[in-house]
Amino acid sequence: MIDRSGLYRLTWRLPLLLWQGAFFVVPLCFMAAMTFWLVQNYRMEPAFVWTNWQRMLGRAVFWDAYWVTLWRAALAGLIASVVAFPASYVLAFRMGEAGRRFVLLCLIVPFFTSFLVRAYAWQVILAESGPVNAVLGGVGLGPFTMLNSSFGTMVGYLTLVLPLVVIFQTWSLAAIDRALIEAAWNLGATPVKTLLRVILPAARTGLLLGAVFAFIMSFGDFVSPAYLGGSKPPTLSILIIDTTKSGQQWPRAAVVSVMMIVTLFATAAAALRLAYGRRG
Amino acid sequence: MTDPTPTPLVQFRGVRKLYGSAIAVKSLDLDIGRGEFVALMGPSGCGKTTTLRMLAGLETPTAGSITIGGKLMNDVPAHQRDTPLVWQSLALFPFLSVVENVEFGLRMRGVAAGERRSRAMMWLERMGLQGFEARRIDQLSGGQRQRVALARSLVTEPEMLLLDEPLSALDAHLVIRMQGVLTKLQRELGITFVYVTHSHSEAFAMADRVVIMGHGEIEQIGAPREIFRTPRSRFVAEFVGRNNIIAGVVAGGILSSEHGAFPIAAPDGSAEIVVAADTVTVLRAPPEAGPAVKVAFLSEEFAGTGIICYFEAADGSEFKAQVTEEQLADLQPEPGAAFWLSWDPARVHVMGG
Repeated sequence: MIDRSGLYRLTWRLPLLLWQGAFFVVPLCFMAAMTFWLVQNYRMEPAFVWTNWQRMLGRAVFWDAYWVTLWRAALAGLIASVVAFPASYVLAFRMGEAGRRFVLLCLIVPFFTSFLVRAYAWQVILAESGPVNAVLGGVGLGPFTMLNSSFGTMVGYLTLVLPLVVIFQTWSLAAIDRALIEAAWNLGATPVKTLLRVILPAARTGLLLGAVFAFIMSFGDFVSPAYLGGSKPPTLSILIIDTTKSGQQWPRAAVVSVMMIVTLFATAAAALRLAYGRRG
Repeated sequence: MTDPTPTPLVQFRGVRKLYGSAIAVKSLDLDIGRGEFVALMGPSGCGKTTTLRMLAGLETPTAGSITIGGKLMNDVPAHQRDTPLVWQSLALFPFLSVVENVEFGLRMRGVAAGERRSRAMMWLERMGLQGFEARRIDQLSGGQRQRVALARSLVTEPEMLLLDEPLSALDAHLVIRMQGVLTKLQRELGITFVYVTHSHSEAFAMADRVVIMGHGEIEQIGAPREIFRTPRSRFVAEFVGRNNIIAGVVAGGILSSEHGAFPIAAPDGSAEIVVAADTVTVLRAPPEAGPAVKVAFLSEEFAGTGIICYFEAADGSEFKAQVTEEQLADLQPEPGAAFWLSWDPARVHVMGG
């Protein structure tokens, strides 16, 4: 039985519950159900068979793509965090409030253009005859093949995630109580030890969330591996495209999607535990 | 109390600190002796915290010199000094346990794990925190955190401890307890305490010497009693509180003021006198002899040591008198009721003389 206060709470939560249900849980369940369907004569038929799962998880192509995607997304999260940190540090500790706000606003500007447009821009810049190779050629290096390689994919991933990682990191660094940093200094910590022993632990939540966001966005990205990485080796997102194109195999693509969602859920849960969890 | 003159631990000489064009400290000359408990006191913005932070190396003086133990400290970075500071916010590390907080300073100095743990545990025990070592900071009460902060600062056994309004965030009853803890600790350790506060009660209760600062300068240095009884300027007299200040012109041993003429031992010319609230007698009728000011009663306030009564003179200026509970019961003052204030001319302090 629901008492009055329970009913009150439920009423306020109802819109959120309905919204989440309609736009998240229901489609997800639908997709999960679809993995058991059959495709006959290029048409999907509701059924309950395990063939899709057996066919996808039993193939080396799937697992190769799975590990490649996982590894590259993790690497993107790591590289983005390392590359973003000096920028975030300067923004948080060396700039005034007004300057910081302006730069953070500028970091949002890239999102005004489609990521696809930015990927095409990289195609021009990184091309065999592009400006980067022209400059490197001027000092007797190259030309380097940067497109259609894992390097190209990584450039794409970083373009996608770096601004967000900088924003996350800057917020968490700027939120550190300055007295903590001074206290470390006062207690004999060198600047490097202050960074390692106080600033990084104090900003742990934001730093981890930034890395996880970079991982999640890279993990599901299709544009970078397809347009800058030349689709080789295929990532899970490319595998999904290929599977749907070949014989309308939507149920098998759904298997890949479900596997991706499970992986992301597991990663996000582990990261949140690490980010907010208490030590000891 | 140690005599600060022979070998001062700390010497400020012509120290000046500017933030842009804003003056935080104008020109500071100050000696602090070994084993001395010095309170830097003043209203906010007077430069007391800046002075403390320069001592810790968290700020660099714009001009002048600061020496500790005879060594010029101006360019010594904070982490190479042993001048631990207890922050107003305590600044305990929330991501470390209690014992990890305490051993932080030892760890930064490369003390081996076993030794630093045992020294940290010894300090926790000394602070009455045994059994709390594995706790997180947010699992402690305000008073316990205070003691963790003290242990963390003292674990390296420094010659000097700096305290920046460490009690201002505590409940009133804890403040008194912690005052006791601090004075006892300072006496037992025999090290120098430099204590910044805006609270007279804290400074006067604990310090050997009080330094009153205003507008980036030292207004007066002295023992608590000296500052309280013989303030050198109107600024000090007003800041210390519970003083009545009367300004006027002296001619032939008589001070003529807006409140009347009073006998006084001062040379001719303009003068300001201080009549401490606890030397004022409240009367229902004008006294037969001696100074008297006619006032109207405003309100009373219970202070730990007695009751402060507030009055208003004819020109609107405020007068204070300290009375006992029995005296208050006798007087039964109503707001607006007329009284006469009198005092012993011998106990009047003439300022600036």
